[in-house]
Amino acid sequence: MNKILKLTFVLFLICAIVAGILGGVNELTKDRIYAIQNAATIAAYSAVLEAEGYDEVDFDRAAFPTVDKISEASNGAGHVVELTVSGAQGLITLAVGVDTDAKCSGISIIEHSETSGLGANAAADSEIGRNFRAQFVGEGEDIALSKSGGNIDALAGATITSNAVTGAVATAIQAVNSLG
Amino acid sequence: MNEKNERIVLDVAYQPQVRTTRDTKSLMLDVIIALLPAVVVAVWQFGTQPLLMVACSVAAAVFFEWGYRKLLHKDPSIGDLSAVVTGLLLGLSMPSTAQWWMPVVGAFFAIVVVKQLYGGIGKNFLNPALAGRAFLLSSYSLAMGQFAVPNSLKNIVDGVSMATPLSYLYGGGKMPAYFRLSSLFLGNTPGSLAEISSLILLAGGVYLIARKVISWRIPVSFIGTVFVLTLIFGGGDMSNLDFALYNVCTGALILVAVFMATDYATSPVTKNGQLLYGFGCGAITVLIRYFGGFPEGTTYAVLIMNLCTWAIDKGFHRHQFGVSKEDIAAEKAAKKAAKEAAK
Amino acid sequence: MNRKQQFIEGLTTNNPVLVQQIGMCATMAITTTLFNGVGMGLSVLIILTCCNVVVSAIRKIIPDEIRLAIFVVVIAGFVTIVDLVLQAYIPALSAALGVFIPLIVVNCIIIGRAEAFCQKNKVSDSFFDGIFQGLGYTCVLIIMCVVRELLGSGKFGGGLIDITSGFRFTLDGTGAGIQIFPSSYGAGILNLPFGGFITLGVLIAVMQYALKKGAKKKAAKEHEEKLQALLAAEEEAE
Repeated sequence: MNKILKLTFVLFLICAIVAGILGGVNELTKDRIYAIQNAATIAAYSAVLEAEGYDEVDFDRAAFPTVDKISEASNGAGHVVELTVSGAQGLITLAVGVDTDAKCSGISIIEHSETSGLGANAAADSEIGRNFRAQFVGEGEDIALSKSGGNIDALAGATITSNAVTGAVATAIQAVNSLG
Repeated sequence: MNEKNERIVLDVAYQPQVRTTRDTKSLMLDVIIALLPAVVVAVWQFGTQPLLMVACSVAAAVFFEWGYRKLLHKDPSIGDLSAVVTGLLLGLSMPSTAQWWMPVVGAFFAIVVVKQLYGGIGKNFLNPALAGRAFLLSSYSLAMGQFAVPNSLKNIVDGVSMATPLSYLYGGGKMPAYFRLSSLFLGNTPGSLAEISSLILLAGGVYLIARKVISWRIPVSFIGTVFVLTLIFGGGDMSNLDFALYNVCTGALILVAVFMATDYATSPVTKNGQLLYGFGCGAITVLIRYFGGFPEGTTYAVLIMNLCTWAIDKGFHRHQFGVSKEDIAAEKAAKKAAKEAAK
Repeated sequence: MNRKQQFIEGLTTNNPVLVQQIGMCATMAITTTLFNGVGMGLSVLIILTCCNVVVSAIRKIIPDEIRLAIFVVVIAGFVTIVDLVLQAYIPALSAALGVFIPLIVVNCIIIGRAEAFCQKNKVSDSFFDGIFQGLGYTCVLIIMCVVRELLGSGKFGGGLIDITSGFRFTLDGTGAGIQIFPSSYGAGILNLPFGGFITLGVLIAVMQYALKKGAKKKAAKEHEEKLQALLAAEEEAE
């Protein structure tokens, strides 16, 4: 019995010390990490819909399971929708700007793990990537890939990624419309 | 001790260890003969670019084979012509618009990484030419997916490159009128160099079977599976029979089934095993064509079945010579009895 | 303990990745740009050295029964600290390495060294063991990054070097790297996990070949020396 108590005590002590140190480090870095993450979000948001600030709004989470967040632009320009959809290799997180006419005002891919050279082009800061993303501007709820009769040309060799992004934009517009 | 006596050199050849005039070299020569008409057709349809492509590919394959074995002080093996066949197949599975250096990169992967690192001819577990093609498909997917307009369609189709019949079969859209089945069969299919004419490839296959270089089992069960499955499930904007025929005549199916899936080192040795192997190749091909992200599934289907070959060989292994059916039954009964006794 | 010996062991004869073959998951996953490789290597080096020192320092007071639990707590503590610091000060690296920084907790190199080395050795030895093993790991990562980046996309030093306006190091991961040949010539498959497997396999093979050759040479030399000594002894006897 004594032995177990001793073991417990030692383990507790070490855990407590480590936890204390971690608490301290967290306290020191917390503000900086928050500021960096906030800046990254604002940068992604303002790339798709220009505004000074964004206020999160409530929406029907059950109807739009892929939508993470909807924020309203403070200047009344529209909404920014953050979604996570599955791509060819993993999840794609992107921000979609939707203006007051229910048209897409731009997209920005925040996180992805698509194949480099193919699907990753969708997020790349290259000519291919910029051209691909520019296609979405002005598209409405009926957005589709060109081979299904729409206006979006799929990335070469990356139909699945292109399809996922196109679907996400359509979902985003529907979600904003549902806000009323 | 005398130094010479320390090293006893045994003359051990690869299987089969039977004295015959048919050696690897003569078998490979037959494969080359069977493939040459396809090269001629490629030149007829695409001009001289295919010649350059095939020449680069063959030269690179032979060079890498020679270089690797020279560098590591192993016996030279380019005399058996297997590197020539690998190079020829790799070159023929390139689209005519590819750059000349692409088959060189593919040949490096096929010969050095897939074949020689595992011990050379007979010890590779993947078909080198197919592995090289898969390597290029993943690396240069853009260039590998662009197919030039064959000369015979130049008057009908505008532009430099065009969609293959396969992309119409599965990508939606109506099959254009110039893709008639009969003309596809004879030699109008846009695609990689050797995909143009199903007829020429089939003729090569018949020659190989007649010369007993390959058995009919793998190609027939492979192509047959694709035909039957697409006949059952159908698709596209046409009757099921047309759909199945299009599936067989287009894409690399016949080239892969006749020349690549039948590679000795990477296909099963037993008759039933070969039938199962061909069926597996066909089924995976159809699965990839229907559901996969790639337009053509034969390459990956055969590579996957290559990896299953050892298991198929194990499952269908033949009994030792001299062991009769009664012996096997008795052995099984004894095992069963032992199991029950253990309970 | 001999520092030189420890150094050679960490980099070659007992290299964590190429000889002990541990910690290979992250090795294959993140070695796509030099920036990732250097960042991951240095993160592991720092965590490994800190953990080695702490584990070695408390080795006499921790009861044997719960030593693994304590190792894990210590390692997890340091990993979390490094993770938070990276997020706060090098967010680009944190974003590029993603889940692989938290996963250092279960990286076999660290718990392996704690179990195999630090709980039996002095603090100073453990400190240098951490540095040299960490260096060995970093070197392998850098070699893999250079090979994969060069053959896969024709680049060198992606994220770490920028030459658009004179040569400079970019520690925020924004540098485009030096384009050695156009990326359309690169075999893109090397940027995929497949490339990680192939590159690591070839590296291990080369390492084993070199080690065997070295051992053979050493044995031949010893044999020669023995022979010389025997001959000398015989001559003397005559």
